[in-house]
Amino acid sequence: MEPMNEFLIKEEQVFSGGLSCRGCGWALLVRHLSSILGEKTVYVLPASCFSIITGPYPLNELKGTIVHTMFAAAPATATGIRAVLDRQGNEDATVAVLAGDGGTFDIGIQSLSGAASRGENILYVCNNNGAYMNTGIQTSTATPYGAITTTNPGTNFKNTMPKDLMGIIAAHNIPYAATASLAFLEDYRYKIKKAKKTKGFRLLMIDGPCPPGHKTSPDQSISITRLAVETSLFPLFEVDNQKYKINYFPEKRVPVEKCMKLQGRFSHLFKNNSANVIQEIQDYTDHNWQRLNELHKQSSSN
Amino acid sequence: MNNDIHTKEILKPVSNSKQIVEKYPRHTLKIIKGNFAAAEAAKLCRVGFVPAYPITPQTSIVERLSSIVAAGELDARYVNMDSEHSVFAAAMGASLAGERVFTATSGQGLFYAHEVLHAIAHFRLPIVICNVGRPSLPWNIWSDQTDSISQRDTGWIQFYGESSQGVLDTIIQGYVISEKLDLPVMVVLDAFYQSHTSENVWVPDSDLVDEFLPPKKRNGNEIDLKNPKDYGGLVPPDHYETFNFQYWRDITKVEELTDEIGQKFGEYFGRKYSAIEAVNIGPKTKMILVALSTITSTARGVINNHPEVGLIKLRLFKPFPVKSILKAFENVPDDTIIINVERNFIGDKEGAIAHEMKHALYGKKNKMYDVYTGLGGKDVPPLTIEKIIEKGFKDPEEIIWIDFE
Repeated sequence: MEPMNEFLIKEEQVFSGGLSCRGCGWALLVRHLSSILGEKTVYVLPASCFSIITGPYPLNELKGTIVHTMFAAAPATATGIRAVLDRQGNEDATVAVLAGDGGTFDIGIQSLSGAASRGENILYVCNNNGAYMNTGIQTSTATPYGAITTTNPGTNFKNTMPKDLMGIIAAHNIPYAATASLAFLEDYRYKIKKAKKTKGFRLLMIDGPCPPGHKTSPDQSISITRLAVETSLFPLFEVDNQKYKINYFPEKRVPVEKCMKLQGRFSHLFKNNSANVIQEIQDYTDHNWQRLNELHKQSSSN
Repeated sequence: MNNDIHTKEILKPVSNSKQIVEKYPRHTLKIIKGNFAAAEAAKLCRVGFVPAYPITPQTSIVERLSSIVAAGELDARYVNMDSEHSVFAAAMGASLAGERVFTATSGQGLFYAHEVLHAIAHFRLPIVICNVGRPSLPWNIWSDQTDSISQRDTGWIQFYGESSQGVLDTIIQGYVISEKLDLPVMVVLDAFYQSHTSENVWVPDSDLVDEFLPPKKRNGNEIDLKNPKDYGGLVPPDHYETFNFQYWRDITKVEELTDEIGQKFGEYFGRKYSAIEAVNIGPKTKMILVALSTITSTARGVINNHPEVGLIKLRLFKPFPVKSILKAFENVPDDTIIINVERNFIGDKEGAIAHEMKHALYGKKNKMYDVYTGLGGKDVPPLTIEKIIEKGFKDPEEIIWIDFE
């Protein structure tokens, strides 16, 4: 049993003055991540909100090395860095990619797949806030069904389900992949520690609150991301060497509309008599939860 | 088309006769293809990281390097990447971490890596690569310099090799230049005429190369886990220009350094190199051909029969060797005509050599003509060079398409 204060940061590895918006997930995400990874870490950043949040030249928000690289190529850049650190005897250093969902689901998916397939010893962290937020809220393939963005405005909302990146990455047979939530810090920190210890390609997918993009109130970031877990819109699970494990079972699953209602990006669904869309999302979420439960059962039975 | 199984056979020394050994002491004469000469050079330079992706006609360079690494003949990490974009991104990461890096590509691969080429140059990373020139779609895999020429504004130093020997020697010099200025170097081979054609190559002994090219020194800008830094974060306008100024200052040193290192290479290896080579140019020269790569070899032979025709071989193409060109033109009369031989098409009336030569000779009165020839790998035999000379003297047009149907 982990002690109850396991969500406390003992030694801060970030400097003050990060440039995130109020209520942004990145701020909390990197505080916990860096406090566990430590200074002997090379963070590789494709274009993303965090590449701005960490500060302009010559600033660096993190105590650690940061390498900014091309949008499509963070895992490839990390491959070169990892290879040379190993040759220099620094096998114990961590190489971590910090990417958004655009850099992960869309433009970066080829180099992500390449590095995962090669079994590169890299920790990949995706802050999934469901759109290109850094460029001002454009649709990505992680954008949820029903959401409006600047490129899916008004009634032309995003009308396909988000890509199942966890399924795609699990299919690469990597040693460790997990989802995590900033509302469940003990679980998040446990997964960072586990990912840090594991050798090979690891991926953490974090549900990223984004008040300007999700049209939410900054003070509700954590409660909404908790609701995403309670509704199973963003279930907490891990895939440890092909074995699925659900890390949190809601006592009573909350209907998805409770979570969606708090987000302005879905408000049109509640005004425009789009109950069918909400029902479709509920059905899809139920189906996905059921599927994960079956994978969980199957994995724990053998 | 996989000739690798014959590699060992091919790389056997063809002669050990005293006479030949004395020509270039501490060398072995081998008959190898241009691509194998490039791989051999990378091995001799003791590169530590080779990210790779196949593309014709470059593939046998990285294939050969993979067998060299697998056989334990080179202590390097060889990685099969997922694309050329990733190859160059991995090269960037490895170089940032302080390793000597080599890779090779061609045509579409180079085009695909374009944005990374800019990043590597502006991160000031000393990487050397080989490009085996071929054009873009519609599919064509044959000799053409449009791929590398279209990357000339990425900030990379570009050398064009006339022979396989030149390629091997230029890769070695390339690392010296690259690591001295912290600028990346691209060494370009002609597809098939060079990449897949076997010729005599004097391969230097590795200890001789070690004397000329010592192990890569760290300059303090590399990733240092004990002294963390941030690389490449958003640079505000006030600072951005400072980086460009420093870059500009160093790129202006390339031409002189090329001559200096080429001279020094001659002292170590017995073969001297310079930014350009001026052949048969003087007060009596009536025509000067300007060319890159293997076409220069053909032209060299043809002008033996034309004492009034000279030749400029552009070995360094980017930054363009303006000083060397002006020096070559010191005693050239105003009525000497210049003919640029273009194996590139950049979507303009003139080819790339014409643009550069006009910039170099601004203010000179010499008439300049531009010949398109050999695009997409079409052969440029001696007869074509003869036709160019004849056309140039008798009936020149501003733009000439020779042998064109």
